[in-house]
Order: sequence, then C-alpha cells, then structure tokens
Amino acid sequence: MTGTYMRSEVRRTFRNPRYLIFALAMPLILFAAFGAAQSHNHLSGITVSAYIMVSMATFGAMSSVFSTGGAIAFERAIGWNRQLRITALTGRAYVAGKGFAGFAVAVPSLVLVFMAGALLSHVHLSAGRWLLTGVSILLALLPVAALGVWVGYMAKAQSVQAISGGVYSLLSLLGGLWVPVTVFPHWVLDIVKALPIYWVAQAGRQALSGSWVGWEGVAVLAVWTAILGAGAARAYKRNSASS
Amino acid sequence: MKLLTTTQPPTTSHRRSLQGAVHLSGVQKSFGQTCAVDGIDLDISPGEIVALLGPNGAGKSTAIDMLLGLTDPDAGDVRIFGEAPTVAASRGRVGAMLQSGGLPSELTVLELVELIRALYPTSLPTDEVLERARIGDLTSRRGDKLSGGQTQRVRFALAIVPDPDLLVLDEPTAAMDVESRQVFWASMREWASSGRTVLFATHYLEEADNFADRIVLLRQGRVVADGATTEIRALAGGRTLRCTLSHADLDGLGSLPGVASVSVHGHGVSMTCTDSDATVRALLERYPEAHDIEIGGAGLNEAFLALTATPGEEIHS
Repeated sequence: MTGTYMRSEVRRTFRNPRYLIFALAMPLILFAAFGAAQSHNHLSGITVSAYIMVSMATFGAMSSVFSTGGAIAFERAIGWNRQLRITALTGRAYVAGKGFAGFAVAVPSLVLVFMAGALLSHVHLSAGRWLLTGVSILLALLPVAALGVWVGYMAKAQSVQAISGGVYSLLSLLGGLWVPVTVFPHWVLDIVKALPIYWVAQAGRQALSGSWVGWEGVAVLAVWTAILGAGAARAYKRNSASS
Repeated sequence: MKLLTTTQPPTTSHRRSLQGAVHLSGVQKSFGQTCAVDGIDLDISPGEIVALLGPNGAGKSTAIDMLLGLTDPDAGDVRIFGEAPTVAASRGRVGAMLQSGGLPSELTVLELVELIRALYPTSLPTDEVLERARIGDLTSRRGDKLSGGQTQRVRFALAIVPDPDLLVLDEPTAAMDVESRQVFWASMREWASSGRTVLFATHYLEEADNFADRIVLLRQGRVVADGATTEIRALAGGRTLRCTLSHADLDGLGSLPGVASVSVHGHGVSMTCTDSDATVRALLERYPEAHDIEIGGAGLNEAFLALTATPGEEIHS
C-alpha cells in the first residue's frame, strides 16, 4: 500500500519540470561551467573539481529533498491531502511517503554530478567511496527534509515557491555551496558553521577523502534536525486538527 | 430582513436501524468566534438518499468534514455505521467527493485511480471504476488537462473506489455545465440503485428535489427542516402573500397561521405561506388596515431562499 504511494510520489517528481531544472540540470550545468576544468588546483586537500562537484551534488540533492515542502503546500491548496486522508493512508505515512520520495529523487541529482566529476574532471574513487560520499550527503540532509515539511504546512501554495527559493538560495550561499567558505571573513564563517548546509557538503567531502565529518558537524546537524523536526511535527499536527 | 418562524421537527417517518449509516448527535463546531455547526442531530438509515440543503455558510461542508473525520467536533458524537469516522473511512466504508477538488497534475487519470485503489484494503476492479464513473476515455489524460465536468467524474471515480456503503458528496455539480450534470446524476443514480446510502450537499433545490428522497435543510449551522422530499416541497412550495401595511411588526405577522417566513421592506410585506387562505383571513382580522393584498404561487427556489434565509450576519464555514 505505502509502496504504491511512494512509487507514485517518485513518479510525480520525475515529471515535475521544476525538479528537472533545479535538481538535475542546474547543478550539472554549474559544475560543468565552474568546476570541471579545475582538476589541477587543490582546495582543502582535494582537487577544486572534486570540491565543487560535492558542492553541486549537495545543491541538487538539497533541492530534491526540499521539494517535499512545495508538494505538501500544493496538495493542501487543491485539497488532495484531504482526499488521501479519507483513505486508509495515515497522516504519518503521507508525510513519510513525501520524505522518502524527496530522498529517492535526490539520488539521480547526486549520481549525475558524480558522473560528470568522474568523466570530465578525473575524480576517481572506488565504488565504496562513491557510495559513502552519496550516503553521507543524504543522511546529512535530514534537517532539510524536516524544514521542507515545515514550510509545506506553514506556507500557502502561492508563496511556497518564493519562500523555498529564498530559503535554499540563502542556505546554499551561507553553506558555501556557491562560493567556497575559505573566502568568507571569520565572523561569517562562525555563522556558516552554526548552520546545517556547510556540514552537509563537508560530510560529502570528508567521506570522499576517506575521513568523516566529525563530532562538531554531527552535533550541528542533530540539533537542527531536532529543532526543525519539532517545528514540522507541530505544523503537521495543527494542520490535521483544523482540517 | 427575513424571519423564519416555522420549523419542522426532525421527521420520525424514517426508520432508524440500530446501526444507522450516519449518526450525528448534538454536534457542534466553531472556528474561532464563528459557530459553523450549532448542534446538529441527524440519523440516516442505510439505503437512504439524503440531500443536505442550505445556502453558503449554512454549515454543510463543516458537517460533512466531521462525518468524514477530517475535522473533530467541539462537542457531540459522530458515528458512521457505528464506528468512528476515521475508522469507517480507512476501512473503505465511506467514499467522498470533497468540495475543493483539484487533482495532482503529474499523474494520469488511470494512475490516480490505481493509486487510490492501492490505499484501501479492498477496492473495485479498475475497469469497473472507470466504467461506472464514465471516464474510460480519459485514462491517459493528466489531472490538470481535464474540464470541470471531467474532473468531477474522476473525483466521483476516486470516491467509489473502495465500493463504499456510504457515499458523501459535497456540492458535486458546482463546477459542471448542464450536460455534465445530467451525466453525473445518471451515473450516481445507477450507483445508488443497489441500495447504498448517499448523502450530498447542494444549494440547488432542484437537485435535491430530483435526486433525494429526504431533504435536510440547514441554516446557520442548525437543522431547520428534515423530512421526505414531498414534505419539504409542500413546505417550500407554498404561496407568497404580499400586502401594504403601515405598522408592520415582524413578530405579529410571523405568528399568523400558515406563515413560513416574513419579510418587510418599508410598508411592503411579503410572506411565504403554507396555507395562504388561513393567513389572509387572520391577517384581515388582526390588521384591518392591510391593503393591496396579492397572493401568488411561490417559486420553489424563492420559497427555499425564504426558508433558509439568514436573518443576521452570514456565517462562513
């Protein structure tokens, strides 16, 4: 039952032009434009190409995971969530299905950018290392999934795209996805390290170079997951109570 | 200004089985300061086709949301086939066409039907759903590429997927043209002929009259009349008495025999009557100065409007 629902959610996302543009095409184009030719320079112990590859993979995966919010807000607007609520699908399964679909469609975003890295910029890793890099990024995106659900229940369908666009542009910028954080002044760097996205990319880069993100990163991500998860749960409950 | 003076007590002519299809008792719901449903009692037996009739803001949608388990009542009890609404819904005993109804744009009609089928413990075969809702020709169409009438047919299909014993329709024909309406009610009739229970909300008296065998009239969150369609028709289809009266008082006029509702505009008085003969006699006795008396047959819709008119502010549900 939930299997069919999740498959249906994934299928819908693949047919959504917004997903195709922001989660698949844009990261790939940005990597090809800014990262592909930088395989001889190094940054933070890896090639600049690999560095930007992880940034763009994170950006694409983040768009995918965050798209949950737009889907929820849209379905609230057209009353589709109400139609589903009078079936045997529980409210939790509804949210879980949306979250699962968000992570599932993040996989192609990662794979495409990784393939570009391998083919265009000689980023050569073992299969296990590739897998670990991808999984690290996905796991670290949990707070973003929670934020997506929260926004989905708080925002109206008309404004959710604008809010989403603003939020993830800001998060990407402050997460060092567009500009490496090494160019930021110290006080900005303190803010960057208190926010989750820097650590998502960091989880990917560390996994790529055979290390791991470290306790500070895990702690920041866990705290944000707890805060945003609580907000999402509250918004969800309030929404279910008032219909 | 209109005043409703006559209300029918809930009819007793309908059998109440021990386990009714729908049971609402003392149900109340407010949204902030606004009372949307103000104490509704309603029992519907299996096999009945009931129209929930009332103007916008009468509480129809709120009542329906509560009996589907989409909204919890502030007070009172709601049972569907003896069960809590959410339980009955998840077991597929209730199907519903809700009022606001878009369909996801990324799925085809066939995919939508298959999706909803997968969400119930048991469901009708896909072909049967498509055929009953008359959407066999729309299967490859995306959800956002449908006309208003086609969308409603698809939503009807989704509602009958679990083969429900009770079908709830919230203003099902609101977005339809005349032809779509006829097609819709035809498939509806066919579906209901096998003894299933149907409850539909509408603000068209014609629809209630043509399709329901019982009408429940709502006004301001209360049941103001409940009876067989013929009874309500008699109540609603009376005559209109107009006259000129310099000192009209609503309460006095409303208490005249045979009066269903009164409206006063300056010296002009207009009354909807269930027994205009009795009314005119009593009127001349109590108000000898009344003149320009005119009695005419009231239009069905006009009388319905009088019955459900809101004296105070409108309530939005």
